[in-house]
Amino acid sequence: MSNTVRFWLMVLPGTVFLVVFLLLPLIAIVVFSFWRTESYTLIQDWNLDNYATIFSHSAYLTFLARALVMATCVSLVCLAYAWPVAYFIVRYGGRYRLILLLSTAAPFLTGEILRVAALQQILGPIGVVNMALTRFGFDPIEALMYSNMATGTGLVYLWLPFMVLAIYLSLLNFDFALLDVAKITGAGPLRAFVEVTLPLNRAGTAIGIVLVFIPTLASATTSQFLGGPDGALYGNILARQFGSTGTWALGSAMGVVLFLASALALVIVWRAVGDLRRSGIVIKGAPKP
Amino acid sequence: MSRPTRRQFLKSTATIAAGTALAMPHVRKAAAATLELRWLGWEHYNVAKIVREFEKAYKVRISSSYIDANSEAYNTLRAGGTADFDLVMGDGFWPRLYAKQGLTQPVDYRKIANIDKVFPHFRPPGSTILQEEGGKAMIAAPNCWGGYGLTVNLNKIDKADAHSLSLLFNDKYGRRLSTSARLEENIALAGILAAHKMGTKTAARPDGKPFNPYVLTDAELEEAKALLIKQKRLLVTRWNDENTLERLLRAEAVWASPEWSGIYRRIHFDKLDGKTRLNMTHALRPTEGGLGWVDSWAISAGVTSSEKLELCHKWIDWRLKPENMAIVATDLGWSPTVDVRRLIPRRYVETLFLNQTQVIQDLYQYDAPSSPEKWERVWSEVQAA
Repeated sequence: MSNTVRFWLMVLPGTVFLVVFLLLPLIAIVVFSFWRTESYTLIQDWNLDNYATIFSHSAYLTFLARALVMATCVSLVCLAYAWPVAYFIVRYGGRYRLILLLSTAAPFLTGEILRVAALQQILGPIGVVNMALTRFGFDPIEALMYSNMATGTGLVYLWLPFMVLAIYLSLLNFDFALLDVAKITGAGPLRAFVEVTLPLNRAGTAIGIVLVFIPTLASATTSQFLGGPDGALYGNILARQFGSTGTWALGSAMGVVLFLASALALVIVWRAVGDLRRSGIVIKGAPKP
Repeated sequence: MSRPTRRQFLKSTATIAAGTALAMPHVRKAAAATLELRWLGWEHYNVAKIVREFEKAYKVRISSSYIDANSEAYNTLRAGGTADFDLVMGDGFWPRLYAKQGLTQPVDYRKIANIDKVFPHFRPPGSTILQEEGGKAMIAAPNCWGGYGLTVNLNKIDKADAHSLSLLFNDKYGRRLSTSARLEENIALAGILAAHKMGTKTAARPDGKPFNPYVLTDAELEEAKALLIKQKRLLVTRWNDENTLERLLRAEAVWASPEWSGIYRRIHFDKLDGKTRLNMTHALRPTEGGLGWVDSWAISAGVTSSEKLELCHKWIDWRLKPENMAIVATDLGWSPTVDVRRLIPRRYVETLFLNQTQVIQDLYQYDAPSSPEKWERVWSEVQAA
């Protein structure tokens, strides 16, 4: 078998998969976004009305802004929480490192709906927390009940393992002896972290942020079940266009906008990470700085 | 016992794989020999006992898929679902829309023996809603009925407020109210109140037809939107599933909510059985007017074989069998369109509104919004406000 045939045999399945399941649906979405819907029927009538609706009606921009704020907050909370967890596992986990890492992903053994339902039982007005408070004569915490706070908590719970995993993998390549050098040269623990550990693991951190930010931006289920009357995010409204309202053309335009927003987030993170050679990622064959 | 060698392991695996591959076509043929009936509808109607006995009686397999809204079923059928489903459920005027678009086919009532046991208010001449528009053919068969009335906790809510739609917008009950997350029913219900306040409900309508909360004027829609925005701060949540609302009502975290009467019945059955002290009432038709539904079985246009068509009719007949409808009534709390009064405990009859089936004629039947695009914008503005 020639090298060319072997090359195509290896490349073809992946390419076909990407074309059929990613590229073609994406093209269809882009095409539909320039059509219109009338009484649940998609009509081939090329126009920019759907984009005009999204950018001229404050409601759609509000949902996008809500989703961006939610994704940013969830990413930051996950970041703050995941760093010490991953650091502890890598530094002190010893031969149990893998088990400890996998235990952070234990909730993934159940489905998303089940996890959200479990959170409802904890955070809701008749959840464990508020029932306990009322039992002891305190007022229930309203912020926990069907609110953006509840949605945020649910999303952190949902995506935290991805952030932990990304930082963990980055820290595995990190030479902890560098911290001893920093200490010898007079740096305290905080300064050593800020000037040595964090910069050398920024690629892992950035990948973690992307893994949390992008799915949160598009999320719908968590806010649907935990968010209150003010809890609708962009993903909820997007899902509705393809469900109950049947406004597929507007939904497609919303999908394109979401895709572009996600791509923009990726570019920003890529630019922020900058030079991978100084970020703990080892590229085989790359010239040494 | 010695451990198997790698060669033995590979040999055994290859034998099993070859055996499975050879057997698969026969397994597939055996599976294909069993006729499968696929229905799309409301999840709560998937009653294991009823399904199991049908499968046993007719040696077929039943599979079901679920919807959250009538429009979802409609969109599914339009997107090629007629090939995937043999039966579809629809409420109110929706089956007419299915039929008009050629998504379903006529139902032959002569093949449904139990249709005679349906209350007169749900079949011609008492009701023509399941009849082809302007024709004689029947497009669906009735199943259960109800309203989108108000379930109210009388221990917490004044009796004087319990029967008015204004209850859902009353500051006095702030953070103790709830509504469903479905945009059609939220806007339609607020639309009834808005039109009632504006005095346009009984006035001549632009389309020359009687008032229909799914065909609101722009002014009524604006008023409904204002009401729904005001309502937001009074709500605990907009529930997505009945279980959530039932838990909230039972725990008295929510004092009133519109719902399809089923939750009220389940709680009230418990009261009648001495299992709860909750004092619930249900305003099936609020003072200003209310929404109602008769859900029904329609046969998909994708059913072409006479054998499958026959089976579809048998399924509908089976569901209408009074013994099966009694299970739906007592176990699930849905009110059947079939007279089951003799088969259920007497104390349940009033709770199921089986002595007042004529109320259905005073309720505005579920329908498709006149402009889904316009309603989408209104609901988005409510949610973003």
